[in-house]
Amino acid sequence: MANYKKPIPDPDPYTTGPFWDGAKQGKLVLPRCGDCNRAHFYPRTICPHCHSMNIEWFEASGEGWIHTFAVQHRAMGAWAEEVPFVTAYIDLKEGDRMFTVLRGVDGNKPEDIKIGAPVKVEFEPATDEVHIPFWRVVG
Amino acid sequence: MPTNPSMAAAIVGAAESNKIGYIEEGTTNNILFIEAIKNVCDQVGISPSEIQGIAAPNAANFLAEYLGIHPKWIDTTSVGGCSFQMQVHHAMAAINSGIIDIAVVAHGESGYSARKNQGKGRGAGRGPGDPWAPASMFEAPYGTSGAPSNYSHAMTRHMHRWGSTKEDFAQVAVTTRDWATLNPRAVMHSKDTHPNGGPISVQDVLDSRIISWPLNLLDCCLVTDHGGAVVVASAERARSFRTPPVWIAGAGENMSHTSMLEMGDFTATSARASGNAAYTMAGMGPSEMELAMIYDSFTVTAAITAEMLGLTPRGEGPSLWEGGKAGPGGAGIPVNTNGGGLSFSHSGMYGMMLLVEAYRQLSGTAEDGVHGIEGKQTSAKTAVVNGTGGSLSITGTLVLVADD
Repeated sequence: MANYKKPIPDPDPYTTGPFWDGAKQGKLVLPRCGDCNRAHFYPRTICPHCHSMNIEWFEASGEGWIHTFAVQHRAMGAWAEEVPFVTAYIDLKEGDRMFTVLRGVDGNKPEDIKIGAPVKVEFEPATDEVHIPFWRVVG
Repeated sequence: MPTNPSMAAAIVGAAESNKIGYIEEGTTNNILFIEAIKNVCDQVGISPSEIQGIAAPNAANFLAEYLGIHPKWIDTTSVGGCSFQMQVHHAMAAINSGIIDIAVVAHGESGYSARKNQGKGRGAGRGPGDPWAPASMFEAPYGTSGAPSNYSHAMTRHMHRWGSTKEDFAQVAVTTRDWATLNPRAVMHSKDTHPNGGPISVQDVLDSRIISWPLNLLDCCLVTDHGGAVVVASAERARSFRTPPVWIAGAGENMSHTSMLEMGDFTATSARASGNAAYTMAGMGPSEMELAMIYDSFTVTAAITAEMLGLTPRGEGPSLWEGGKAGPGGAGIPVNTNGGGLSFSHSGMYGMMLLVEAYRQLSGTAEDGVHGIEGKQTSAKTAVVNGTGGSLSITGTLVLVADD
């Protein structure tokens, strides 16, 4: 963990705490509107769908699908040691999207990576407090 | 014709964030901004979704994304404490001109909390430099670096959804090199000016090294040094100069997102909306455009923008360039006659280059202007000029017409 050399997010303690608390326990915890019941991501203090400020948190399934992807052949810092790696936007089962570095794929074979392929979330501890979500192709 | 904006607009509500002063438990710019906007909307009796224009220093675009709205007037003017007076002024002008009929001017600044938190927590979302930016916290960990590493995701999705290929997009790059061969000031003018200079083939693009698959090096714009400027004058004075006028017939702006996390359709941009606004104001349509100056940060940027501006059907953006149609002497509408950001010059922001070249073409000075080049002048009397900013995020479109 002390060896984690890639960028580590610096979570704010005011609006995204439940997400990071969940991550530490290996859970994907997302915000959802208490009025229109729709989930959203990135977490906000106001629902981007109906503008209610009645936001609650829930444990999501941690399942989703590849919406689109790219293979990074150039990168900075510690990521440069892992090129080519695959970044992807994930359609969450509960709605909205997350960004990630995709696991379980070969960056040298982009033609083998399928948009729509099912993925599951996993968490890598970067520090004691910050566990970073990554998504792995499972299908 | 312009009219006197006096009495054209009024302030109809005013509110504060829920908490103000010394907020001991801490807060962020973003929390303060959103509370104030929510409160003033509640007070006035509108939903935030009814906001047509949004102004906030350095933050209007981040706030619009956070609210999930797509305003058609965005003012991030940030010049200190007087910014808000200026933004009210801008809003009044925009309202007077019929662009919008309601705007919110907002402020959120966690000065006390930021000092307590050793400078952290000014969470207005100012991009990756802000550790608490609402979206970048969920993007920065994943190793992308720079525009190509983002835009490539749009190209993958376009290929998936519309069946386009890397070969299709490569034609955009080939055509910009063809224009560059007519422009000695273009970085990619020839093999003498650069090893990758024009002309190039589709195969050259495909054989260039991969930057962020599916974008190869020759799908990506240059990074140059560049300066440019244009003069805008009133209609009354427009014909009183040594140089001919090019009229601004239409203008529009719009945004779909700031972070790509919020880009709903990866194969569409707000150029559809900003272009429609410009066409409507001009009373003209895409079929009447005789020149297209389109932001080509990447081949995919130009191709998607061509679709959004109605120059091709949906999903067929690359067809605008097919077989050299958009190139010198081509059968179609000429595009980026200076060589574009891919082959002429792109310093990080290509918007000014679009304007300068559009002016030269429509004023008939593309060959006899300061840096006019033989063979470069087209017969175009109308042009659509579109700039794209961010990660396919924000667009501005102009319709320009030559003087009679």
